[in-house]
Amino acid sequence: MALLEINDLHVFYGNIEALKGISLAAEPGQIVAILGGNGAGKTTTLRTISGLLRPRTGSITYRGKSLIGIQAHLIVGLGLSHVPEGRRIFSILTVEENLNLGGYLIRSDRKLVGERKASIYTLFPRLAERRTQLAGTLSGGEQQMLAIGRALMSGPKVLMLDEPSLGLSPILARSVLKTVREIANRGTAVLLVEQNARQALAIADRAYVIEVGRVVLEGEAAILAGDERVQKAYLGGFEAVGAG
Amino acid sequence: MIDRLANHRVARTYVATRDQLARLPFWVRVIVILGAVGGSVLANGDDYVTAVGVSVATYAMLGLGLNIVVGYAGLLDLGYAAFFAIGAYTSALLMTQAHWNFFATLPLAVLFTGTAGAILGYPTLRLRSDYLAIVTLGFGEMTRITFNNWDYAGGPNGILQIPWPNFFGYELNTQGDFFIVGLALLAVAMIFAQNLDHSRLGRGWVAIREDEFAAESVGVPSLRLKLFAYVMGGMWGGLAGAFFATRIGAIDPTSFTFQLSVLVLIVIVLGGIGSLPGVIVGALVVVAMPEVLREFADRRLLIFAVLLIGMMLVRPQGLWPRIRRKPKPFYGLEEEESEDVADKILREHQVQMEERDRRHAAAGRQVPQRGEALLEVEGVVQQFGGLRAVDNVTFEVYRGEIFSIIGPNGGGKTTLFNCITGVQKPKRGKIRFDGRSVVGLRPHVIVSRGIGRTFQGIRLFKQMAVFENVMVGLYPRHRTMTWQAMLHTPGERNDEVRTLQESRRWLGFVGLESVAGRLATELSYADQRRVEIARALAAHPHLVLFDEPAAGMNPTEKLELVGIIRKIRDLGITVVLIDHDMSLVMRVSDRIAVLDHGVLIAIGKPAEIQQNPLVIEAYLGREEDLVEEQAEGA
Amino acid sequence: MSLGWSHKHRIAEAKGGKKGMGEFLQYTVIGLTVGSFYALVALGYTIVYGIIRLINFAQGDLSMVGAFLGWTLLVSFGLDRLPLYLALIIAFVVPMLGTAVVNLGILQFAYKPLLKRSLLAILITALGMSLLLQNTAELIWGPRIEAYPPNLLPSTGFFMGPVHVTYVQIALAFVSLLLMGAMVLFIQGTTVGTAMRALAVDHDAARLMGINVDGVIRLAFVLGAMLAAASGVMLGLYYVQIQFTLGFLLGLRAFTAAVIGGIGNIPGAMAGGMLIGLLESYTTGYLSGKWKDVIVFGVLITVLIVKPTGLFGERVAERM
Repeated sequence: MALLEINDLHVFYGNIEALKGISLAAEPGQIVAILGGNGAGKTTTLRTISGLLRPRTGSITYRGKSLIGIQAHLIVGLGLSHVPEGRRIFSILTVEENLNLGGYLIRSDRKLVGERKASIYTLFPRLAERRTQLAGTLSGGEQQMLAIGRALMSGPKVLMLDEPSLGLSPILARSVLKTVREIANRGTAVLLVEQNARQALAIADRAYVIEVGRVVLEGEAAILAGDERVQKAYLGGFEAVGAG
Repeated sequence: MIDRLANHRVARTYVATRDQLARLPFWVRVIVILGAVGGSVLANGDDYVTAVGVSVATYAMLGLGLNIVVGYAGLLDLGYAAFFAIGAYTSALLMTQAHWNFFATLPLAVLFTGTAGAILGYPTLRLRSDYLAIVTLGFGEMTRITFNNWDYAGGPNGILQIPWPNFFGYELNTQGDFFIVGLALLAVAMIFAQNLDHSRLGRGWVAIREDEFAAESVGVPSLRLKLFAYVMGGMWGGLAGAFFATRIGAIDPTSFTFQLSVLVLIVIVLGGIGSLPGVIVGALVVVAMPEVLREFADRRLLIFAVLLIGMMLVRPQGLWPRIRRKPKPFYGLEEEESEDVADKILREHQVQMEERDRRHAAAGRQVPQRGEALLEVEGVVQQFGGLRAVDNVTFEVYRGEIFSIIGPNGGGKTTLFNCITGVQKPKRGKIRFDGRSVVGLRPHVIVSRGIGRTFQGIRLFKQMAVFENVMVGLYPRHRTMTWQAMLHTPGERNDEVRTLQESRRWLGFVGLESVAGRLATELSYADQRRVEIARALAAHPHLVLFDEPAAGMNPTEKLELVGIIRKIRDLGITVVLIDHDMSLVMRVSDRIAVLDHGVLIAIGKPAEIQQNPLVIEAYLGREEDLVEEQAEGA
Repeated sequence: MSLGWSHKHRIAEAKGGKKGMGEFLQYTVIGLTVGSFYALVALGYTIVYGIIRLINFAQGDLSMVGAFLGWTLLVSFGLDRLPLYLALIIAFVVPMLGTAVVNLGILQFAYKPLLKRSLLAILITALGMSLLLQNTAELIWGPRIEAYPPNLLPSTGFFMGPVHVTYVQIALAFVSLLLMGAMVLFIQGTTVGTAMRALAVDHDAARLMGINVDGVIRLAFVLGAMLAAASGVMLGLYYVQIQFTLGFLLGLRAFTAAVIGGIGNIPGAMAGGMLIGLLESYTTGYLSGKWKDVIVFGVLITVLIVKPTGLFGERVAERM
């Protein structure tokens, strides 16, 4: 049994079925990429796992226990951390305060909070320089680092990242994704929703391609990277033309 | 053949008659019911009951006025008593100091309250609705305190010995007289309110209540509509105040406290917010209950408070809820053959376009011809905090083309749309449409200039039927005036029928005529996007901006979308498109611009864009990413 | 609204012969004392509004409930026979706790089921709550004006130059500052306080941090009510007379203070409270007491029109 297993998940927004039976799995130390066009259901999948949305049917199992019906703030405590799309950092708080909130559940253990903060500052030295600055004044890349750092404060076993490269320059995006690989290498399972398919497949172990609420392709990232169907499903043929 | 024609004619007459009847009953119902109630109360001859009846009528009139503000426009007004006070004082002062006839004071009472409403409303109606509630509360208290401190108006003692009204020599001085006048005013108020509710204004108000941003962006002048509701509601309050003053014969500031504003609010909440019969029911409860249950009269505010909270929790729609008839789309309209529809749209659109071009030419402006720049974006910069979302972007869109803007998420595409449509004001740069700058205009003005749009996240009016959504899109094209709507004149009726007709054609145009009567939320994702397209087209724009119309569509639906976009272009409408689906963009676009990190990195024909290495890198990441990382991994 | 609310007797004291600068300073002292009461209530508005975008109309009435609970303890239960410091501690703490329970009940039964519904519904309910508190208080304590023990606190004071300052003013201002200071420390200095500020920006993101959003909302209601109750007891001690209607105008003035300070902005609410207190005191002293509310509301409307984010900037991000 995998660390996180999702089976036949159906999610509705009103009458619209956003997820029409998604199944996927993640293991410790693995990066699982979820690819697909806008509106395919990638974000919905992550939001359902982290408890912000309720599925109509289907199962989400983490360490053999069902997550369905557990409130979002308790799911964080179980070891699943979610970096939402658009970063959603607390703009009116300082960098340090944002990180403190990431460690909200361990707030009584000041030593642990301090240690985790220190390790995040080592991972992202830029954040250490700006620790007393308001988060809203950071650049896009720094905000993304903060969002990831904030999510790591709770010491997650599963880290969910929603489009971490959004709005970042290619170089910055690469460096963020490299850090994601490092995080996974320490034993965290990572669910990575990305639009930058090449970069995502380059660092991922497995990948799923979602289209209109369904998984249309899945497999080893390295194999999918060369699969014509990925280019078709996700890149809409553009890649083929462009590379050719 | 003749038979069919006859049937046709018979059917038409039938439908027309039924339509007539369907329209008549509200007048009839109001007059018959109020007449019957009034008659039986008067026949009873009990002065006490009649007096209670006058009070109910007064509260119902106040409730009707406040209902326009709260129920229709969705604005919480907690100082409604101020209008009542201004009306009462205006009328009373004119009668006692200038010895005017009561009926002669009414226009001035209404004018003064309307002016007060406009002066307060114009600057404050842009505020968030919770702030507005407090502002109106403050206004109510200020008005009361001002009257209390104003010696000319009698200060705390108020105005005494206000004469009875004189109606062409007949002095109205019994409770029965007042009851008749009260009922008559009430009947007029109800009929006006009903007509407004069922006009384009009513539709505009629903749209604003549901999604003010979307309403404004499809051409509904939200501030004007809110102001209108506020002033209109105030005028009714003023009229009721004048009536109250002459009936009681003496007024003082304690008659116009915050408590009165709350009581009137309770009238409409109990009865059902937005419901006309509900107002009467609410007025009955608020006035009659303390009379019937004498022993609880002292505790009536406590009971009302509990009722108010209980209603909001348990039965927010009120005792007699606003009835939402199942919308009957195109009821009574003639059937049209489908080729006919396309033809008519084309013809109507061409007429509109030519008319516009002529108007522009007459005004001495240069009209861009096909292939000339229709939209010019020049050096536009938009910044949020430290982030430059749009960085010095310059391009032109030519009349008649399909122009796409692509680029990675967060590249600044939607921000650019928002700048063009007036949702945001760019920090720097020029945006010209039809040769005229559109920077700094309100969104609904830009719509009327000829730019329509759809939204990335669908923003339809959820409580409205599909065809009503499209009718809201036709708002800028109505020709009738408000007074016509209030009186429901033949001109207004024709305008409504025309609107209905056109909304059906546009729905036919996007292939959704069959679901016109459904609620927008009942449709699939793809169909909702098509409704948005129809709504944007309904105003006959010169240029439409589609923000990710294909998101969430399956391949078949995307194919249909391509067809629709081409049909739109064939009408002569210029299309600007944001989308991520490359095959769709490459297939439909005449030209493509690529935005990355707010910077325009490429512009050109699809084939050129596909070959552009900068674009490939921005959009897909660098080729060596893959190689490099895999090498590292190995 | 004429009860203990008028500054007349205080102002009359101030007018006793002194003119010019002395008079001005005297009004300033009075304004700051009263302003500190408004500031406490304004803090409650600002905290609750910052988190759930609700104008808790009942905030001013919670003060009234606090004032009456304090009165019940001091007068009906005869607390005034205890040593002064003990009596005062009980007269503050018990009403603060009692009012907190009331506010929690209001949140749980009335507001919570409506939080996801329209703004209109929740505003109307909040208004209903204000009415309910007022009329329940009338039912329990009666419609009459009640008096705090007049001789509980010494009415003596001392002269600072031309300005007469009473010990009561000093003590009450001190307690206000203490409470406000504690509040600021809590909100700026602790992780839970930080969470409270974070809720002003993004509820979902806060959930993803493991923050129990409902719990933090409850906490905000508790704190808001405690501040309101404290200011109510202080009003009773300062003005002596209390009546069940006192919450209405108090609430409006405090709300004005919160808006002037920039809603959601905690130091702003305190400064706003002081400003309103001063404005009122100067208006009463130099113009006439009967215009003071017109001036206060005029300022409210002007600020909202000219600078709706308040004089010190709003700390509430617009959530869509």
